[in-house]
Amino acid sequence: MTETPASGDTRQPAAAAPPNRGFPSPFELPTPDGAEGWEELYPYYCLISDERRAMEEGKFWFFDGMHNPEPLYPFDTIMTENWWVAASQMASRVWPIPVAMGIDQRLVNGYIYVSPNSVTDPDQIAARHEYFARRAGHYFENWDEIYGNWVEKAKDCIARLNQIEFRPLPELEPEETVFGHRGVYSSHDLLSAYNRLIENMLEMGSYHFEMLNLGYGAYLTFREFCQQAFPGITDRTLTQIVCGIDNLLLRPDDKVRELAELAIQRDLAGVVLQHDDPDAMLAAMAKAEGGAEWLEAFEAAKEPWFHFSTGVGYDHSDPVWIDDLRLPFIALRGYVEALQRGEDIRRPLERLLAERQRVTEEYRALLPTDQDREAFDGLLALTCKVFPYVEDHNFYVEHWHHTIFWSKVRELADVFVAHDFFDDREDLFYLHRHEVYDALYDLLIGWATGTPPRGEVYWRPIVERRRRIRDSLCQWTPPPALGTPPSVVTEPITIMLWGITEKTIEEWLGVDPAAAGDVLRGVPASAGKVTGPARVITRTENLYSVHQGEILVCRITAPSWATVFGRIGAAVSDVGGMMAHTAIISREYGLPAVVGVGFATATIRTGDRVEVDGNEGTVRVLERAAP
Amino acid sequence: MTDDPHILWLGQEGAPGNPLLGGKFASLAEMTAAGFAVPPGFGVTTTAYRVFMAHAGLDDKAAFVREAARRSALADIGSARARLVEAIGAAPMPEKLETAIRRNYAILEERTARAGVPVAVRSSGEAEDLADASFAGQHDTYLWITGADAVLQNIRACWASMFGDTALSYRAGGDGAVAAGGDGICVGVQQMVEARAAGVMFTLDPLNGDRSKIVTEACWGLGEGVVKGDVTPGRFTVDKVTLEIVQREIVPQSEEYRFDPASGAVRLMPLAPEREHAACIDDDEALALATLAKRIEGHRGAAQDIEWAIGADGDVRVLQVRPETVWSQRESTTLVSESRSAVEHVLARLSGGRVATADPGQREP
Repeated sequence: MTETPASGDTRQPAAAAPPNRGFPSPFELPTPDGAEGWEELYPYYCLISDERRAMEEGKFWFFDGMHNPEPLYPFDTIMTENWWVAASQMASRVWPIPVAMGIDQRLVNGYIYVSPNSVTDPDQIAARHEYFARRAGHYFENWDEIYGNWVEKAKDCIARLNQIEFRPLPELEPEETVFGHRGVYSSHDLLSAYNRLIENMLEMGSYHFEMLNLGYGAYLTFREFCQQAFPGITDRTLTQIVCGIDNLLLRPDDKVRELAELAIQRDLAGVVLQHDDPDAMLAAMAKAEGGAEWLEAFEAAKEPWFHFSTGVGYDHSDPVWIDDLRLPFIALRGYVEALQRGEDIRRPLERLLAERQRVTEEYRALLPTDQDREAFDGLLALTCKVFPYVEDHNFYVEHWHHTIFWSKVRELADVFVAHDFFDDREDLFYLHRHEVYDALYDLLIGWATGTPPRGEVYWRPIVERRRRIRDSLCQWTPPPALGTPPSVVTEPITIMLWGITEKTIEEWLGVDPAAAGDVLRGVPASAGKVTGPARVITRTENLYSVHQGEILVCRITAPSWATVFGRIGAAVSDVGGMMAHTAIISREYGLPAVVGVGFATATIRTGDRVEVDGNEGTVRVLERAAP
Repeated sequence: MTDDPHILWLGQEGAPGNPLLGGKFASLAEMTAAGFAVPPGFGVTTTAYRVFMAHAGLDDKAAFVREAARRSALADIGSARARLVEAIGAAPMPEKLETAIRRNYAILEERTARAGVPVAVRSSGEAEDLADASFAGQHDTYLWITGADAVLQNIRACWASMFGDTALSYRAGGDGAVAAGGDGICVGVQQMVEARAAGVMFTLDPLNGDRSKIVTEACWGLGEGVVKGDVTPGRFTVDKVTLEIVQREIVPQSEEYRFDPASGAVRLMPLAPEREHAACIDDDEALALATLAKRIEGHRGAAQDIEWAIGADGDVRVLQVRPETVWSQRESTTLVSESRSAVEHVLARLSGGRVATADPGQREP
């Protein structure tokens, strides 16, 4: 499906906030036309429960469009269900964080809403503090060693994931399993491979959060200290002070730059530029003189750096570089052309480092007392210590591991296609993982008994119905929040990761998306002012349709979208907390960016002329595209 | 005393920091020497003032009035003070001094290649612009003065302004500064900047003392309105470290201070309608000004309060620099309540506490 100027026009407006300045009740939201019965896509525990209406309505729910901008595919809830437990248990039971319990979730019209649980009883906070100080203190004190081991655990988990294989069941068991006296057969192998796949995912999912709360906590403390010392200091300045200028998320793009340089050195620029189609380019490269060397470098760069999702890794449909080379090759051609023009495409690491040092030293000097400088130095050192994990875990988990996970799920889907359960491997994602287990067992029964499994006729109509339902859900715009607004926000992850503060809630309460008008406000993420035609991208696979100079308008940008930043004029996103990488990448590309706009994708249409002011944090619709 | 120069140019050797120029002009000489863009001009020194007063026989009367001011008995000597002000306006100017002023004005005409070049005639008191009291606006400034006769007349007016109500009352209150500074006055004669926009800058946030900000207030036309307070200026807050604009307040403006040829004076005039809702300086200019302020602060080694103007040609001129006096004198308040390790700070934060207990935004000057 391609993004057309008309796309999004059929979106139905979100329910308006009731006049009492609360958010809509999750029970009052209308089901989008054609999505009746959407609840069957998800397990019971993901749904708002009528039996607990008072509790559900009493909570504050906000839409997590940052991780899941679209209605979830049933299978993809493994990602959200994972962090529901894995992230929550760290705060509630493992450390425990004195002021925070876990973060609850519900799926409403297929969209994920989350609700942080806080601890407010002072006695309970004090009791939890005892444990927390000892446990978290241990991690902070031994951070580098623990992180070193973490990397080994992550790599080992990925290696074991790579070993999991899914193959259609054979007509007859092969001789070696019989004569090897294994006693377990292909049926058991297939089932256990599936169990291992799910367990492996949940294992990595647990590592994901092993140190994250603490990493965020250190940064949050440093950030709040700086904000008090220098009121109005921007998040982009703070991230400039603490972010690794050479973190792993920048490595894939660096590899593309290296490949561009090699192409120029070996006189292969023509081959790179001649073919837009990746397969055609690679075929031409294989025939070209010196092409073998380039291909060898290309293959080396792919592992692991092209295991790079164009989304946040939580959605199986986000294209991955290694499976879809169009994105890296667009960037490759851009770099080759830049080199041909005599430009230096290397990131100016030394300059960035020197600038970071200058900024840090100047702020430090402006602090009122030596005692403050001591606190600044200590918090900065701690934050810089934890930051490699905060940034790089993202590559190990969401990119490297999860992209392989999704490809393994497709390998499993191919087994179902081979056994005539589905026509298309993508159909599997319309089943929840527990349903997949059932279907797999059905398949084993059919294979074992010789009776055709019921799955051959059972799943196709269900998949068709669910596809229609989900497509209808896609046309709905989720309101930013539901339920009862809290008076204070204390939970650190909510503030850090989602950027939600009392001010955000105040703004949400004050904005009616239907009446938002032509000026939208957000967080100024990267300076500059640019006017251009908007390109609204609500599906990652439509990223290729972005044209030179267009203003990218999206729910959220992922670090791996870096390659299109070379073409766009500015970036606007609905969501984005301080940890969003949009700001860093926009600044690196010198593009204005406004994030956390809230309703940009619902208000702006592809083709509208918009002005993005990255200094003010405003997005102005200057001229509406013809409908 | 009479051997001391009666005239000192801003760019002249020995001018920077010279007490003969009074606070304001000595600072401007220092800025000129450091290479900052200051409009050309010369000071009629405190020596010249004393020579004039002695020549006119007004020394005793001046001392009497000042003494009354110190005793806060100004109300009792109203007529004596009026006679003194009148005498300063009428007494003959020593011929040598008058000739020197005329000759140097002619040099300024030559240097600016403009006959009858408009100048600002500005008081620059000895006690002015000290680090602990600004004396801002306590002495008079006369704008858009053309021709040597008018310059001479306004120099007398500046001298007389030493004995104006406001100047004397301010001095009465600030005894420490007065005692230290003496009672002389220099009068600066400086080319007018025909400002498209002008204003003031602080190298800290005057609202909360945050030293990481540069706050610029700007209006269309001459900066008089910002200083006097009868024009509400727009405000740009710039991060001093990253030199990014962090806040912009554009205020609609309907009138500006500019020269009115009909009355031959500077006054509030209607602003061109297309400018009423427009920012008087653009972002690039706001950043250029902040960069300038940061350089000036670096050069002066302390927080500054700066007057500036942008001419029709777009060039920025520094009109005045003086130490910021409100926040700079306050004792630094430490932000962190207790000294502890970074890990302890983080643990405390995640238990619901904060690192910094003193919030600069909450402090009152």
